[in-house]
Amino acid sequence: MDIKTQRKWDAASRTFDLFTFADDRRLGPHKRRLFTKVKGAILVVAAGTGNDFKFFPPGQEIVAIDISPEMLQRAAKKARLYPGNIELRQMDVSELEFSDHSFDTVATVCTFCSVPRPIVGLRELYRVLKPGGQILMFEHVRSNIGPFGILLDLMTPLSRLVGPDLNRNTVANVQKAGFRLRREENVYLDIIKIIEAVKPSSATKADSELP
Amino acid sequence: MALETGHFLRTAILFTKRWEESMPFTLGDLLAGMLVGVLTALGVRVAVWPGMDMVLAMLLGSAIGMVIHFVLGLILAPLLGMFETMIPASMIGMYGGMFFGMRDSMAAGSRTTRAAALVGVVLGLVVVLALKLYDRILRGTVVDAGN
Repeated sequence: MDIKTQRKWDAASRTFDLFTFADDRRLGPHKRRLFTKVKGAILVVAAGTGNDFKFFPPGQEIVAIDISPEMLQRAAKKARLYPGNIELRQMDVSELEFSDHSFDTVATVCTFCSVPRPIVGLRELYRVLKPGGQILMFEHVRSNIGPFGILLDLMTPLSRLVGPDLNRNTVANVQKAGFRLRREENVYLDIIKIIEAVKPSSATKADSELP
Repeated sequence: MALETGHFLRTAILFTKRWEESMPFTLGDLLAGMLVGVLTALGVRVAVWPGMDMVLAMLLGSAIGMVIHFVLGLILAPLLGMFETMIPASMIGMYGGMFFGMRDSMAAGSRTTRAAALVGVVLGLVVVLALKLYDRILRGTVVDAGN
């Protein structure tokens, strides 16, 4: 378990929900639209305070993990309100305790801006997904547009102290981890994105060949 | 004909509902942009004097703008959204601060504080509107490989 990251998010959990009022209203409909695509056994990574549970369709069987026990403590109340079943577990995405091919869908919301070793984390998700399984991501990334990209690079050393990196290239990381990109959509400029990718159906044999 | 009218009415209602939902945020974005613009313009006016080395003035202006954007961003983000606040504010703060620094070191226009503040408002407004337009252009599917 990455204790440094855990402590950072334990501290952030105290103010985390302050920022949900506007984001829920402005970005919530996009998250809801993305998560209508969930199916089968679902893993939600970095559930945080559980603020995004309400965007999942009702009646799902969900396992939600987070590295921070304080986040999970806050998420428990929202998990109880969800009209389905949510099991909360403390876990580091880079060291998942699930066996191979356990899930049909992995869902993330602003997760891989914060995972210290994103490709390792994505490889773990690749491992626990069944062949043909999908990863649905709502993430902010580094802009490819010069002035925005520079701004995000300049702000990252500061933002990293209290929260996420602002300049991750998550689309490329997803592909580096072995996923096949199915869909990419810009939600705000080219910074907030919906990323949908799949683990190829023939992935079992190819697993060992990936980096 | 009745079907077409029904469809038109449904579309009009949906459009009105969306407009009502997004209007407060749009106004908030514009006000936030103007506020960052004014504070950056005034902050730079206080710190930069005519005749100051232009390069130093631009660097200082940019730094002042970044600090102002960061503080205001933290205050306004819970009300307007993290990225919708941070991106325009940082553009206005960092690049606007640089422009204001250049102008004030050369004493090139906006001689009164009020005029400097007004230019700050205009810059903030233009940046927010330009970003909204650019967002409209960029928004949507980039890759769709199907199933």
